[in-house]
Amino acid sequence: MPTRAFVLAVACALLAVSLYAQEGHPLTGTWAGDWGAPGGPRTHITVVMNWDGKAVTGLINPGPDAIPLTTVAVDWATWTVHIEAKGVNAEGRLEDIGSYHRRIVGTWSQGGAKGDFKLTRD
Amino acid sequence: MKKIRLVLVVLIAAGAVVQAQLPGAAVYDDWRRVTVQGAVTRVEWVNPRAYVFVDVRESGGAVSNWAVEIGNPLDLEERGWTRTAVRIGDVVSAEGVPARGDVRRARLLSLVVKRTGARVFAGRAAVARPAAVAAAGPTPRWPDGQVRLGAPAGRRGYWGAASVTTMVESGVSVPMRPDGLLVNLSDADRIAPLQPWAKAVYLYRQRTLAQDDPAARCLPPGGPRQFHTPHGFQFVEQRDLGRILVLYGGGNRNWRIIYTDGRPLGQAAEAVPSYFGSSVGRWEKDTLIVESVGYNERFWMTSGGLPHTEALHLVERFSRPDLNTLRYDVTVDDPRTYTRQWRSVWTVRWVQDRDLEEFFCEENAESTFIR
Repeated sequence: MPTRAFVLAVACALLAVSLYAQEGHPLTGTWAGDWGAPGGPRTHITVVMNWDGKAVTGLINPGPDAIPLTTVAVDWATWTVHIEAKGVNAEGRLEDIGSYHRRIVGTWSQGGAKGDFKLTRD
Repeated sequence: MKKIRLVLVVLIAAGAVVQAQLPGAAVYDDWRRVTVQGAVTRVEWVNPRAYVFVDVRESGGAVSNWAVEIGNPLDLEERGWTRTAVRIGDVVSAEGVPARGDVRRARLLSLVVKRTGARVFAGRAAVARPAAVAAAGPTPRWPDGQVRLGAPAGRRGYWGAASVTTMVESGVSVPMRPDGLLVNLSDADRIAPLQPWAKAVYLYRQRTLAQDDPAARCLPPGGPRQFHTPHGFQFVEQRDLGRILVLYGGGNRNWRIIYTDGRPLGQAAEAVPSYFGSSVGRWEKDTLIVESVGYNERFWMTSGGLPHTEALHLVERFSRPDLNTLRYDVTVDDPRTYTRQWRSVWTVRWVQDRDLEEFFCEENAESTFIR
């Protein structure tokens, strides 16, 4: 069981991280989370996105099995995000936009399976 | 027994002005007024916001302690307020703007000390400051004729109040509050040539009353914001070292280096991203032209929340048409955020024969003493 001091140290560390928000394009950064069908197993996903001034580019699960993003579109009126990659189609909504640890929550389709997903920016 | 009471008055006061100290709009409800009457229990004469604490006997007989923010001590001293103007035990009547939510806190508008009957403070804590005053002397110069950005030889001084408290494109005039919040959100398109994502982010920050402003958490006022942040700045021209130091009175006494030794401008991708970027300067006649890249994305480059990316490239032109006036002309070049380059221009007033005073944004972080 963690000690109070440990819990306090973790809380301070999290606070320190939150102080250094990324204030540029809302999608730029590394996002981590998972997806899966309700009640089923969850699959970890990491999504890296970068705004180059004209488009958002990036990868799903960077590394040897990375899947390049082919389309990332945002409806700025509703903060909805559409992400496409080979075999992947996701539709979500940006939440807690002013926070460093903002989230994208929505539906994720991959390989014929469909479920929900949640990504939080690291 | 002194009659001590609390009166809460809700006013419908369109166009009420909020203070420039951040995050005022997110903290205080400018549509309301409160009158706090009682005995002073504590005086916190510290930066960036001084407070008096007042015990108030409420209608049910219970006593509650109110924190009344009275403004920045440096500003208050300029208005004749001293740290002993209100003493512990004084019974005061303070009219202010109450904080949002269920907290006993207010921002002062006026205060009367019953002991003396004196109104020791009246007026808003911070409003748009006046533009630079008329010329009081010629532009100071070094022996070789180059303009001095600092004090004339043998004198003291620093650059104080800017003619603006936020930043908009040159030539644009829209109603804004001193803290950079638009009176009409429909004016967002006129502030700067924002890309769609940037407009969405800017509007989000406006709608949320700038509550996420990094400057409110005492992070450095990077980019052009450094030259309209309260409490001034000064240039230290180290000509023998080929550099100019810019020391800031606001923020957290931050500083920046502008290299004038002829080194090339670093490329953004090569620089470690920072709040003040990497700057090189050169003189063209009487104008110092400074180019900067290498900014991080952890700050808002102006109050009100105009965004930027690491692609930000600034060209700043500093000129001093007379002793009392610094003209600041900045070109914003960030193709990832704006649809084209754009400029903003303002002036800053010289404060003669005074030095920057100590100011630390973090000194009275709310969690340390506001209950």
